[in-house]
Amino acid sequence: MAETSTDSKRKGAPVLNIENLSVAYKVRGGEIEAVQDVSFDIYRGETHGIVGESGCGKSTVAWAIVNFLGANGYVKRGHIKFQGQDLVGRTGEELRRLRGDQIAMVYQDPMQALNPSLRLGDQMKEVLTVHRDMAEDEAEERSIQMLDRVYMPDPANVMKRYPHQISGGQQQRVVIAMALLNNPALLIMDEPTTALDVTVEAAVLDLIAELRRDFDTAIMYITHNLGVVARVSTRVGVMYAGEMVEKGTVEQLYENPQHPYSQGLMRCVPKLGADKASSILYPIRGRVPPPDSRPAGCVYGPRCDYIEERCRRERPKLRYLPNGVAVRCHFAEEIDPSQWRPSEDLELPTVGREDGPGQTILEVKDLKKYYEVQGGSLRDMVGVADKRYVKAVENATFKVDKGRTLGVVGESGCGKSTLIKTIIGLEDTTSGEAVFMGFDVTDDISTRDEKLIQELQMVFQNPDSTMNPSYSVGRQIARPMERFKTVPKKEIRGEVIKLLRAMRLGENYYNRLPRQLSGGEKQRVGIARALASKPDLVLCDEPVSALDVSVQAAILNLLLGVQHEFNTTLIFIAHDLSVVRFFSDDVAVMYLGQIMEIGPADAIYAPPYHPYTEALLSAVPIPDPKVEQKHIRLEGSVPSAIDPPSGCRFHTRCPRRQLLPDGGKICEEELPPWREIGDGHRIFCHIPEETLRTFDPVISTENIPVTKQSQPLKQGS
Amino acid sequence: MLVNDCMTRHPILISPETPASEAQKIMSENNIRHLPVTGAGKRLEGLITRQSFALAPDVLASLDVWDITRYLSGLNVKNIMLSGDKIYTITPQKTVERAARVMNEHKIGCLPVIEDGSVVVGIITESDLLDALQEMLGMPEKGVRVTMRMPDRPGEFAKLSEALGEHMMGVIGIGTYPSRRREGYWDVVLKIRKVSCPEVDAVLSKIPDQEIIDLRDVV
Repeated sequence: MAETSTDSKRKGAPVLNIENLSVAYKVRGGEIEAVQDVSFDIYRGETHGIVGESGCGKSTVAWAIVNFLGANGYVKRGHIKFQGQDLVGRTGEELRRLRGDQIAMVYQDPMQALNPSLRLGDQMKEVLTVHRDMAEDEAEERSIQMLDRVYMPDPANVMKRYPHQISGGQQQRVVIAMALLNNPALLIMDEPTTALDVTVEAAVLDLIAELRRDFDTAIMYITHNLGVVARVSTRVGVMYAGEMVEKGTVEQLYENPQHPYSQGLMRCVPKLGADKASSILYPIRGRVPPPDSRPAGCVYGPRCDYIEERCRRERPKLRYLPNGVAVRCHFAEEIDPSQWRPSEDLELPTVGREDGPGQTILEVKDLKKYYEVQGGSLRDMVGVADKRYVKAVENATFKVDKGRTLGVVGESGCGKSTLIKTIIGLEDTTSGEAVFMGFDVTDDISTRDEKLIQELQMVFQNPDSTMNPSYSVGRQIARPMERFKTVPKKEIRGEVIKLLRAMRLGENYYNRLPRQLSGGEKQRVGIARALASKPDLVLCDEPVSALDVSVQAAILNLLLGVQHEFNTTLIFIAHDLSVVRFFSDDVAVMYLGQIMEIGPADAIYAPPYHPYTEALLSAVPIPDPKVEQKHIRLEGSVPSAIDPPSGCRFHTRCPRRQLLPDGGKICEEELPPWREIGDGHRIFCHIPEETLRTFDPVISTENIPVTKQSQPLKQGS
Repeated sequence: MLVNDCMTRHPILISPETPASEAQKIMSENNIRHLPVTGAGKRLEGLITRQSFALAPDVLASLDVWDITRYLSGLNVKNIMLSGDKIYTITPQKTVERAARVMNEHKIGCLPVIEDGSVVVGIITESDLLDALQEMLGMPEKGVRVTMRMPDRPGEFAKLSEALGEHMMGVIGIGTYPSRRREGYWDVVLKIRKVSCPEVDAVLSKIPDQEIIDLRDVV
């Protein structure tokens, strides 16, 4: 039903009303105001999104509501009114009574919320038996109903299992079901889907939207992902450095962001709808200031492109514009984002290299990687049982040309990382061929020639765990140079500094230790180290997944710039399909160890699709509420790779199987053929090309206005 | 429509130990007239209405001005709330008409909606019922409102719906009741969207034995 007059009347008073909230932490030598002057309301049946980069105080607001600030944190000013009653300044006992069981929280990591040593059923029943004095068997029945409600397959059975026996997406569903058992008036969700795969995330987001309607719950949804917010929220608040800098409806924010920070955020997320050339990312320079060193005037001033004298002097107030949007900026009316130009010092990569395919640098043919599984039975121990294998990579065939980028996408556990680990030699291959510049690379790294190792380098997802914490940055980067003797000893220091400069990191970083760097800076060092030996092929395993959007944009642009400068070839793994499109020349889509579709990036994102690619694309949250996306949801979870489904591995979840005669019987029985679509685009599917071509595009971009960016892009250095 | 569909979920609740003055403040600040009183696990213990604050004159008459202040400040929600069999409740799976009847019969303005014996899951008030009436008659959307009078015998409504179906007219609100003016007849109120009065008149006036007794596009 549309928003009608009765609806708005029914809303009544807000469930949660936060007014001028400031939260401070007492620390040595004073106190730090982590959150300042935040105000917003949440009404029944409404999802209010809170977005911002990490360290902006989003979670602190949530913790203040449930009085979970820790011993040194307290609400310094302002009100938190829940159901008309102020929560600030009450004793613990009073709070417990006021809030009762009316506020529930769901956190990012479901395993933190579940007790690993108790059966799921017992944990769920406890909510009801303790809070509602319900009898055991009645609580059991109610829990099963609720699990069913969150679309948990086989709920009665799940009740008997332990948390580790179900998948991450299912764990999060259990947590959501548990939160809803008490029928809370307010549900606080702190990044609930961040740790999940896109397909699972899409299903959980659908679920949240549905539950909100059914239970009329007010939801506060915290996330850093602009796409997710666009999908679930009705209204959004953008937080920056502890302040709410803009709030309004989702449509207002995405169509016409008023605050320079909101505009900057929009510019640094890749948009799946737009074509590749216009999906340039413009990172915001600098980073979020820590709470103890925020600037005196506008907190965003140092990163703002429109900064004027007044911004340095005077802290802007949150004020309402005529269209109802609240914004914290002196010049919101005067700023026209369509007139925005990247500033001179912003590094932008060149796009649309038209040099055509170069010489093939890596050729992989029928590559297989099986892991043997140790069985527990006596027959296994004696060694007479049939050996069982996890088929992590099955018949991977592709080639990469010099200077190009191959993107590899797929859900977690689909073998993306195993594939590149095999190529780099951290794992040996089970069978198949892999030829890199004429060398065979199917063997283990220990048997490889040093020269070969030098040509193949890797950038990891988590720079923290791959850097020696006690080595200085300079030493980390110098090591490969010393080892491979690519640079004469005397020149190493100069060379390292040159690399640091290429990473926009300046000489003063040479002596720093990893702990003195931010996440983005660490990743830059990680990239510098990978490039130190002047490799021909760099394998990147989710290099930007752990970073904030503005930093992510900078790193991606940097990688593109580096690739252009050194003519490096890249294999780029990511689970974010929009990032891969922006970044890659070719894309391979993997499912359960099998490459399902491979081809030029633009061909992958338009029909004909493999049904799996289609489902993945329809699951990607797009940061634009106007984009229409086809609604395809995969059922169930990825099957085990120990015993993959016969025939086509995707047949158990394929939504398009019915297009084939006999309900797709052939998919269960036979391996599909590779269908050559042309231009190197291949699809591994039984469905004939003509039928695949008839699919509508997943993302219809008809309503999207073309972004006004007519000026030629600055060439990257 | 069931109580579940038109009740207000997550009503503001209050505990019995709260001072009466605070309850009064919550009600006026949030512009509500009823406040369910709950204990642990949202179990219903009582109900506060606007009348709860009207103290019996004989109690106050015996006190002097200073005693009144002390008396009022010591007053808790549990001293003034309705409780026990003075509260009528309903469950979410009952129909709205049943809720209306209970409220009408007992001349009360609200029913706490309870589950599992006494756990409060919502509240249904007169305004919720008035909202439901508007919705059932298609009030929120624009359209033509027509009242048809038809004889009380089977098959008459079918004639009407046939005529509507033939001309692809979409009904968004409907209500029937025995005609007040003519014995043996029923009046049917329909709200039809995306049509004009003359169009509706042309189609429905042709139905034999039935007449249009009211036709308007401004409700």
